Amino acid sequence: MSKIIGAVEIGTSQAKALVGEVGEDGSLNVVGMASRPNEGMRKGEIVDFRKAAAAVHAALEEAEKMSGTTVDSVYLAQTGAHLDGQMLRGSAFVASSDNRVAVDDLQRAESEAKRRQPETGRSYVHHVRTPIVLDEKVVEDPVGLIGKKIDVGYWSIDGDDQAIRSALHVISNYSLEVDDLILSSIASATMVAGPDLRRAGSLVIDLGAGVTDLVLYHQGYVAYTGVIPVGGDHVTGDLSMGLRILEPYAEKLKIEHGKASPDPSDDEEDVWIIGNKTIGDRSVSRKAISDVIHVRVVELFEIIRKELGSLLDANELKGGILLTGGGSQMPGIEQVAGKVLGLPVRKAGFPPGIEPELAQPENATVLGLLHYGLQDHSLPGQKKDQEQTGFLEKLAHTFGIG
Amino acid sequence: MRKKTKKESSQGSGWKNLAPRSSRKPASAAAFRKQLQTAGKLGLLSLCLATLVAGLWWFDKKIDSSVDPIEFTGLGAPVNEVIFQTDGVLSKRWFGNWFGPMRSRSLMQLDIMSIRNELEAEQQVKEVTVRREFPSTLVVEMKEKQPILVLRLRAKDNGVQDWMVAGDGSLYQGVGYPSSSLSLLPSLAIHPSLLRLNSDGEGYCKLEGIPRIAPLLNLARKDYPELYRDWRVVSYERPDQSDPGAHVLVRSGKVRSIRFAPRDYGAQMQRLKYLLRQPDFRMKSSIESVDLSHDRSVYAKI
Ligand SMILES: Nc1ncnc2c1ncn2[C@@H]1O[C@H](COP(=O)(O)OP(=O)(O)OP(=O)(O)O)[C@@H](O)[C@H]1O
Ligand SMILES: [Mg+2]
Repeated sequence: MSKIIGAVEIGTSQAKALVGEVGEDGSLNVVGMASRPNEGMRKGEIVDFRKAAAAVHAALEEAEKMSGTTVDSVYLAQTGAHLDGQMLRGSAFVASSDNRVAVDDLQRAESEAKRRQPETGRSYVHHVRTPIVLDEKVVEDPVGLIGKKIDVGYWSIDGDDQAIRSALHVISNYSLEVDDLILSSIASATMVAGPDLRRAGSLVIDLGAGVTDLVLYHQGYVAYTGVIPVGGDHVTGDLSMGLRILEPYAEKLKIEHGKASPDPSDDEEDVWIIGNKTIGDRSVSRKAISDVIHVRVVELFEIIRKELGSLLDANELKGGILLTGGGSQMPGIEQVAGKVLGLPVRKAGFPPGIEPELAQPENATVLGLLHYGLQDHSLPGQKKDQEQTGFLEKLAHTFGIG
Repeated sequence: MRKKTKKESSQGSGWKNLAPRSSRKPASAAAFRKQLQTAGKLGLLSLCLATLVAGLWWFDKKIDSSVDPIEFTGLGAPVNEVIFQTDGVLSKRWFGNWFGPMRSRSLMQLDIMSIRNELEAEQQVKEVTVRREFPSTLVVEMKEKQPILVLRLRAKDNGVQDWMVAGDGSLYQGVGYPSSSLSLLPSLAIHPSLLRLNSDGEGYCKLEGIPRIAPLLNLARKDYPELYRDWRVVSYERPDQSDPGAHVLVRSGKVRSIRFAPRDYGAQMQRLKYLLRQPDFRMKSSIESVDLSHDRSVYAKI
């Protein structure tokens, strides 16, 4: 029997919902997708619950309608400047007398790593496992191998309770459960950076409306994630201020005529804005538009460069830097990024098999949610059978047992 | 069980603890509908509604047919006059061909209802009334669809086939239109995926975006003929009703691309006219684009 799963990104510009069907062979088929303009967010965080909920619910409803089915639960993307990541490490000595690693050893190392609690008022959103090390050697699955000491690491992201709670509320208010919270950047990267790129080392930058999400992979594992509270909305804001036009016009001007850096031919070309009572009839040169954009884009990549510091190492990032998210559609942005970051940058593509209408950079996160959610991220020996116990537990609960 | 609880508390700082226990009052109409649906009530509701609608429809039909005049006369004289009136281009001859086989029947033998229904099933016909006028006259009054656009499709034999697009979005193969009037109609450009064969495989399903373009074309034809004459190709982009990016694109001779928002066409046409009168625009023989889809600003690229 096939299974229906859902994914939601509460984006700053658009709320996006996806319905996927997982076949018996594990293949994923997107059967419903919708997005709705979202006015309830700023910089990746919900500032107006009702507006955000209305956008998300409308998108969900539409996606369900399109798919002809309903979903019970969704994977939910998380972003926002309130998120904070750090590496948690734990280790355990192999317990058995013959020095063979058992599942139990791994679990002890895991709970050791996850022992550290976030500050009050904060909760973990996502623990991303990094390589398992057995006596200083990286191993895929240590169970059954001979050794003394196991080390595991988790890149752990915690966030502000209030922000997380609002996002969860939006979903529960639509009578759905949240299967898991997944960091937006990791979801996007799942889609646009395949295993080979991650192994070679790569940085994925998702240029959204309110925030820019980053994730850096070293040797196939997450080494760093970050959220920078600057995005496409800021570029629009700059244009609106710089050219003295209202924001909706500025947004449009950006999308239709914007470039990340001016090129000489722009000097001759004018874009007309007329009939606007606040400013009167006038024209703006294309160069003025790209000048404004350029300044902000350079600044954004400089923030990223500072934040990553020595992690931005050409030897560790042979897979290069990939840009995705709606903002990556800005012509010339990869050249500007390349110049500032000093490494090769390109616009990310999608793996084959994704329908062309879906394979748009602004959908990277929501598509990635489904793919990430489907994969098994547990420790070896801890298969994903929780669903069943979960159900039995619930049943037991209902009947007041246990 | 105890072991489980312990394990959970070791991850006590995870987000799952923040998950709301019960969902609150629905925050949106969609959430409300979803709640109804989850409770299974929606099914019940729609069932009731369906029964109600069906009942009303049936009732309506009953009344309708009972209004038909009740005839007392037996077999009458054969029809010897047919009065055919239309607001369109179909001719009396066309109707004659259509009606031919029935001509020999008597007025009373003709089933007025089925004539009406069959005529209305003709692609080009919008609405028909059929009346008997005793002793031997049949009156047919017809309203036809008016094409607002032409859709040119490649036919199987590599030729082309022109389909008329009516204001309601229906597509039909026009009969009786003089080619001079067709050549004045702009063409429709649409994404092939929007074109779906209808159930009998002979024609196409209604194009949903068209009713939103029709007022623009009617307005332009009536009030701005000098602009309308120049319009060549019309397309409707992102026809999803709620998509804020939905817009109508018109390619014309002088202005290569004109963009309209799918609402309040009157104001947009006025602005277009005003703009094209400005010296900057008048002097150019060709203008790259004019975008009227904003509330107040117009973007133009000369
Ligand atoms: N062609 C384009 N050129 C430049 N910017 C674009 C283009 N298309 C979209 N954008 C910008 O991309 C942004 C939207 O991207 P996206 O949908 O990925 O963001 P989001 O997921 O809604 O927001 P966030 O991830 O910040 O919460 C907007 O700022 C929009 O202006
Ligand atoms: Mg995003």
